[in-house]
Amino acid sequence: MAGANRRLIGWGVAAVLVAGIYALPTRSTDEMAARKYPNRIPVRFWHMWSAEWKAVVDKIVDRYNKSQDKYEVIALSVPGSAADTKFLLGSIGGSPPDVMAQWNPVIPTWAQEGVITPFDDLMSPQEKATFDHDAYPVVKAVGAYKGKIYGIAIGINLMEIYYLPQQFRDAGLDPDQFPTTLEGLVADGQKLDRRDANGHLTHLGFLPGSYQQMTPYFGGGFYDPSRDKLTLDTQQNLEALSFLAAERKRLGFDEVTRFQAGLNTQSAAGGWPFITGAYSAVVDGQWRVEQLAKYAPKLVYRTAPIPAPVGGVAGSGYGNGNFMVIPRSAKEKAGAWDFVKFWSGITHPERAAEFYTMGGWLPLSDKVANAPIYQAYIKKYPQFKTFVDAVRSPKIQVAPPVPYQVFVNDQVQKAEDFALRGTLTPQAALAGLQSAVDEEVKRRKEMGLDE
Amino acid sequence: MTLQGRRDIAGYAFVSPWIAGFLLFTAWPFCRSIYLSFTSYDVVTPPKWIGLVNYHVLANEDPLFWKTALNTLKYAVIAVPLGVVAGVGLALLLNSKIRGISIYRTLFFLPSIVPTVATSAVFMWILNPQIGLVNGLLGRIGITGPAWLADSKWAFWSLILLGLWGVGGSMVIYLAGLKDIPVHLYEAATIDGAGAWTRATRITLPSLTPVIFFNLVMGVIGAFQYFTPAYIMTQGGPEDSTRFYALYLFDRAFRYLDMGYASAMAWVLFAGIVVITWLLFRTQRRWVHYGGG
Repeated sequence: MAGANRRLIGWGVAAVLVAGIYALPTRSTDEMAARKYPNRIPVRFWHMWSAEWKAVVDKIVDRYNKSQDKYEVIALSVPGSAADTKFLLGSIGGSPPDVMAQWNPVIPTWAQEGVITPFDDLMSPQEKATFDHDAYPVVKAVGAYKGKIYGIAIGINLMEIYYLPQQFRDAGLDPDQFPTTLEGLVADGQKLDRRDANGHLTHLGFLPGSYQQMTPYFGGGFYDPSRDKLTLDTQQNLEALSFLAAERKRLGFDEVTRFQAGLNTQSAAGGWPFITGAYSAVVDGQWRVEQLAKYAPKLVYRTAPIPAPVGGVAGSGYGNGNFMVIPRSAKEKAGAWDFVKFWSGITHPERAAEFYTMGGWLPLSDKVANAPIYQAYIKKYPQFKTFVDAVRSPKIQVAPPVPYQVFVNDQVQKAEDFALRGTLTPQAALAGLQSAVDEEVKRRKEMGLDE
Repeated sequence: MTLQGRRDIAGYAFVSPWIAGFLLFTAWPFCRSIYLSFTSYDVVTPPKWIGLVNYHVLANEDPLFWKTALNTLKYAVIAVPLGVVAGVGLALLLNSKIRGISIYRTLFFLPSIVPTVATSAVFMWILNPQIGLVNGLLGRIGITGPAWLADSKWAFWSLILLGLWGVGGSMVIYLAGLKDIPVHLYEAATIDGAGAWTRATRITLPSLTPVIFFNLVMGVIGAFQYFTPAYIMTQGGPEDSTRFYALYLFDRAFRYLDMGYASAMAWVLFAGIVVITWLLFRTQRRWVHYGGG
């Protein structure tokens, strides 16, 4: 009898164990997340910020939740490396977020696949008119695909020049007369370069931005919106690549690689070589202003627009940014749109201006930029003004809005790599870029995919 | 129900989570990918049947396919034999009867149990051209070391070097193989006047060939799937010099969302591995000596 009981208990334990294993992964994110406002409609919000940035996002979410009593935005920080896959799998599996903040080049691909919904369908005519009228051209371009708005930018990223005036003075240059042409800046940079006894670089006067970044200043670019066509192997693009290749050749490719390898290049937490004076002038994004204030408050530095080459296009540049997308299969689109409006400031720019200052983000429109709190921020960080002035420009370009944008970006970087190492001439590198993209387009056609 | 029947059921119940996992997450995707390789599939919209187009494009219109296949083949041809030689050499050294031998064995085995991601991250520092350990040591003897991972002439070889770092895993298997060789063979050979070299080439290596064959097959399969160190350390660069097949497959699948094309690539890889493994098995009759055979 005792043996039978033991067997019964054994079977019971075994059954519970097996059932337990199957039942383990059944708790959803919603159930795990503590709901502060359980009676409200949940709006699930995914983003990729972490550390100090996550705290800013949480603060904005908290402000939204306190601002109304209908929705509760539940924020989830998703690791950036897996965010896109998680989003896609969530969308296919019927469990996407209601809204997601993104910065990867996803809009054309996701829009073409029908994964994200156009904001045009969610906006009232009044809201649409306000956005069309107020938002800066680059804000509209970042989120656009085939004439519709698929992303609302909540912070544009632009790159301009950061420079150390004292180093200019030490080299006998006048920092108050910052060069107005790229050629002038390169010439100043040469005077600021330093090498050791063996000829190795120990200090760089000026390091230009990437090929994608610099091309617009030469009148080039990789996409012509008026013709809805990619523009790759063009004279202007060649001029930009030739300039960068010549500059790298002068410095020595291996020299720059070695020099940069010895620097701390962590993007966060003050690990920027500019702080330690490794560069006299360097191209970088507006977020550095906030970081410098935090990690190097005593550093005396200035910012300036990237100068165009003689005969080039001043006031241009390359922009990308953080933007909100709403999945087509989102359960709570109205709540998601309400939250996007709140954060972006389409409807209440003065209130949203504060959020832009929390992250050191560039504004959506003049209405945000002119809000007292934003103006106070610029006054506090005068270096930021260079970026705020630049973001208004209609000449700023964005990544080509084609469904194979990631492929094009990869190929552009590859062409730059080949040309800057001197393995290929700029002409050959651009011809290779054109050929690779042509092959891809042909392949997509054969597969019946949208060009 | 009989006792055996009840035991069978209990056994299956306990392994059922694994069986379910295997069927759902291995067998089903494996079979499904055959179908997907004949489709245009972007993960989101339903797959569209396009017949052999993926395979046709791979063979005729995708230079990167051939470039990455060649890189991978080159890696396999160089890294696998090097790994075998290093593993056997190390095992022979660590088979000596000297004091503290188990400590040496542990030391040489340790790197192979460190996760590849961690090893790759550490090697990025070790191979740093400016502040790295390797160039620091070279600098002491007056040599300016190269920009290992940033120079297209050196990046590939840096990964080969990293591969040797983990040779301790196969070394342990060789060591076990060495312990398996009957002592009487050496005794008989010594009595017959065979020297150390003759014993090594006529007894040790032939007796070790089954183990070498095993490691060779596993090494070749692993080399054709080479991914993690290249993904972490070079991302395929510079100038595609370390763009391996699996890395390109990953890009196609998860960055370009070309799952149909990537499935075709996976099946080409699978077929390639099967053919090469089959060829290796065909050659074993000529050089692998099984005891009692």
